Amino acid sequence: MKRTQPKGTLVSRPIRKFSWLFLLPTFLAFCIGFVWPFMQGIYLSFCNFNTPKDATWMGISNYVKVFNDAGFRNAFKNTALFAVVSIVIINLAAFFIAYALTQKMRGSNIFRTVFFMPNLIGGVVLGYIWSMIFDGILAKYNTYLTANATYGFWGLVILVAWQQIGYMMIIYVAGFQSVPEDMLEAAVIDGANRWQTLFQVIVPNMMGSIAVCTFLTLTNSFKMFDQNMALTGGAPSVMANGAKINMTELLALNIYSTYNINKNYHGVAQAKAVIFFILVAVLALIQQYVTRKED
Amino acid sequence: MKKALTLLLTLAMTLSLAACGAKKEEAPAASAPAASAPAASTEAGSVYYLNFKPEADQAWQDLAKLYTEQTGVEVKVVTAAGGNYSDTLTAEMAKDAAPTLFQCGNAQGLKDWGDYCIDFTGTKVLDEMTTSDFNLVDENGAVKCIGYCYEAFGIIVNTALLEQAGYTLADITNFETLKAVAEDIHARSAELGFDAFSSAGLDGSSSWRFSGHLANMPLYYEFRDDGVTAQPATITGAYLDNYRNIWDLYINNASIATTSLPTATGDMSSGEFKEGKAVFYQNGTWEFAGLVDAGIPAENLAMIPIYCGVEGEEKAGLACGTENCWAVNAKASQADIDATLDFIYWVVTSEEGTQMMAKEFGPIPFKNAAESENVFFNDANEYMANGNYTVTWAFNHTPNVDSWRATVVTALAAYSADQSDANWEAVKAAFVDGWAYEYSVQNG
Amino acid sequence: MKKAKEKYSLGSTLLTVFFAALSLVWVVPIFEVVNNSFKSNNYVNLDPFALPNAESFMGFDNYIKGMTFGNYPFLKSAWYSLFITVASVALILLLCSMSAWYIARVKSLGSKVFYYLCLFSMIVPFQMVMFTLSFTADKLNLNTPYSIPIVYLGFGAGLSIFMFLGFIRDLPIDIEEAAAIDGCGPVRTFFLVVLPMLKPTLISVGILQTMWVWNDYLLPYLVLDRTQYMTIPIHVQYLKGSYGTVDLGATMAIIMLSIIPIIIVYLFCQKHIIKGVAAGAVKG
Repeated sequence: MKRTQPKGTLVSRPIRKFSWLFLLPTFLAFCIGFVWPFMQGIYLSFCNFNTPKDATWMGISNYVKVFNDAGFRNAFKNTALFAVVSIVIINLAAFFIAYALTQKMRGSNIFRTVFFMPNLIGGVVLGYIWSMIFDGILAKYNTYLTANATYGFWGLVILVAWQQIGYMMIIYVAGFQSVPEDMLEAAVIDGANRWQTLFQVIVPNMMGSIAVCTFLTLTNSFKMFDQNMALTGGAPSVMANGAKINMTELLALNIYSTYNINKNYHGVAQAKAVIFFILVAVLALIQQYVTRKED
Repeated sequence: MKKALTLLLTLAMTLSLAACGAKKEEAPAASAPAASAPAASTEAGSVYYLNFKPEADQAWQDLAKLYTEQTGVEVKVVTAAGGNYSDTLTAEMAKDAAPTLFQCGNAQGLKDWGDYCIDFTGTKVLDEMTTSDFNLVDENGAVKCIGYCYEAFGIIVNTALLEQAGYTLADITNFETLKAVAEDIHARSAELGFDAFSSAGLDGSSSWRFSGHLANMPLYYEFRDDGVTAQPATITGAYLDNYRNIWDLYINNASIATTSLPTATGDMSSGEFKEGKAVFYQNGTWEFAGLVDAGIPAENLAMIPIYCGVEGEEKAGLACGTENCWAVNAKASQADIDATLDFIYWVVTSEEGTQMMAKEFGPIPFKNAAESENVFFNDANEYMANGNYTVTWAFNHTPNVDSWRATVVTALAAYSADQSDANWEAVKAAFVDGWAYEYSVQNG
Repeated sequence: MKKAKEKYSLGSTLLTVFFAALSLVWVVPIFEVVNNSFKSNNYVNLDPFALPNAESFMGFDNYIKGMTFGNYPFLKSAWYSLFITVASVALILLLCSMSAWYIARVKSLGSKVFYYLCLFSMIVPFQMVMFTLSFTADKLNLNTPYSIPIVYLGFGAGLSIFMFLGFIRDLPIDIEEAAAIDGCGPVRTFFLVVLPMLKPTLISVGILQTMWVWNDYLLPYLVLDRTQYMTIPIHVQYLKGSYGTVDLGATMAIIMLSIIPIIIVYLFCQKHIIKGVAAGAVKG
């Protein structure tokens, strides 16, 4: 029998009539939860506003203020540094833990369970737990977490590594398990040692997992907020060249605290948010592009 | 059109009834609900109070419930989480059901929220006030916020311990004598079993005593000399050496190691004082109930001025002022505004309201105020009666206050661990440069 | 039966010992929460690592204090957290799988636009929309636990639809065609044929979204009418008292109460959770 219509029409045509059921509810919610706030956000970044009702057009003055804001520049620097450090630490640790756990080893399931556990706990709660622990340790050396920026920065790195290593480890474990058995066997037959097998057979086969994990750690560190707020809240803050700097503040927290200065800063905070969005979007696109190319 | 007319009628009615209420001075408690009842029947106004003091939350909730039972007017009381009042206020004000009654306690608040404050001039609650010292007035003379209570702070003294150490209050009249007494007690602390000062902790639960109250001393004297009455864009820090004097005295004459101060809490400090381990404890009138509850007899408690080595400070009194000012939301509906004014009028005139206020906030500056047993207020009044100058709350002018204080605390903490001149320079920078910076941020 | 008889080498035993030690780093912080939840505030400050002794031991006082702290009962926060999570995730799973199927099967301009918008939304950080979202949600009365799932659906739709699509595209269309020939309408086809096949993706999307919604702080903080409704993360943040006083003992007790149910759920469903995360990541 000859097909009179392209494949799929039999299914697709009746669904079309049900777009109000299948598509519309989600689309409406999507407009409320994303599309409208996004567009309004772009508009308000050019305004001075307390609420959207009383917005007055300001042109680019908010953006000018952002670029003159030493606190924002510092938060940007912190975030970039934090992203680099945490990407390296988390991925290296997660990769090797996953590698070990996929070897023949007693208790590997228990370890997997334990390492993943912190992901079930919210960032605010984690922040409070770790600030107690860091302060407890540092008190033995007569100091405390917010005494200087170094403690706060590394404290956050440790917290985030502790939390995310387990998550990335799960992804790497899945990656290790998807390396074709016969390639491993071939490597053994060829007389490759453990390290050669790892770097010449396993790693090339796992570029997918590595890309996913790098992407996740990158966006996670750029969007970091809860942990930053609960652990140090940006403290300590110092006066430098007549401007105040919150030494351990990352970008997301900087945006949030700018908004809360007072109503004249709502527009500035929104402008920072737009810049932040562009930054995250560009990073994501570059990352996607690089990964595609390697595939 | 019709709606506007109804509104106008309601307004007229409420106003005339309010006038009636004002005439019947003898029974204000009874007339206030009577005035609000008709307004409620035409267009039910309701009250939404965004409270500022978590410790008074329960008292407000109870009072609101009582008022609703008596008048049928709905009163919602919400308390912002600690340290979050301005965030919460910003968020709540953006909502359709915004607070009708809120706190606006200083120059900064007036700047941010002035547009949202009604002018109290001509309201009956303003007529009830005994002083206008604690109100905030804008440049056009409109009374935007009314101070519904006031507070005093200084150095709280356990006089029994002081006597045990061989001194009386009369021995302390200025910084020199305070220093002599404190250093002597500290030197003999092992033998006496107590130390001079309770810990000057810089944890968030305690640091406001020093970045706020203690910092008021240099600010007050500077503003007094320079005749500053409005928020200045910059400060000179002329009296910061005095600030250093008193801070050094606090931290070097206490049992706690100076390196532990950054994480020492307010509870620890009050605990030391309550347990009789310290003679001096810098804090305010609001501490009275807690200290008595902890078992210190009222007659053993006194409050003296914070002496810091300024010329003529023998004639200083306690630092009196308030950050507790009510503002009524001008953008609320007229019915809600009326209901809110009726509610606060009832709070400051009725038996239940004034009792609660006296208990929670001490003597309130209203004609019908209930008596307070708080000896610290008696001390404050005595200094005033003796002609000593009242140290006003200069810190109410602080720009971006939370942010400014955080920077000062950071610098103070670093200085305390290592009391070098270089570290003190950082405190000065946080104080003086920080002020200029926060001022520019706030007005930028 | 095979594994149990296999011999473990010395190296593997050493590895086990090493990982057992490493696991301590993961367990100790949680243990410290338990430990301090039984100590009075001053002793937590003094030395958080000391075990409770006769003087510092509070019994369950911290738990009692934490439950009633700040005039907002903890159980109320816990209930709202639970309700919001369950309702939001159910809504996301149902509606996003439906939309994803529509987008996969109908090649119209509308579905294409929606798809690209979804992709786009995945790279937009929450900070970009958070202030405006709170205004919009307030306007539309989405500020209660009963309506906030709509906000979660809206903001979570992008990733969920993307994940569902990745799976549906691999589904053979022949089965659906057969169902259509048998006279099934789209609604029955979806619920009887497509949805059962989506089970693995439903689980991974469900797990990822549950972890997000349950632990989310900022969205409910900005959107919910906090004067009436709190969730557990907001509640923990609110334990800060007047001038930043934190009763650490009570805070730890509340943290303990908020962790226990998750750990229990985790121990029972860990296989699914771990699989879900792995699957979700590979697709994402």
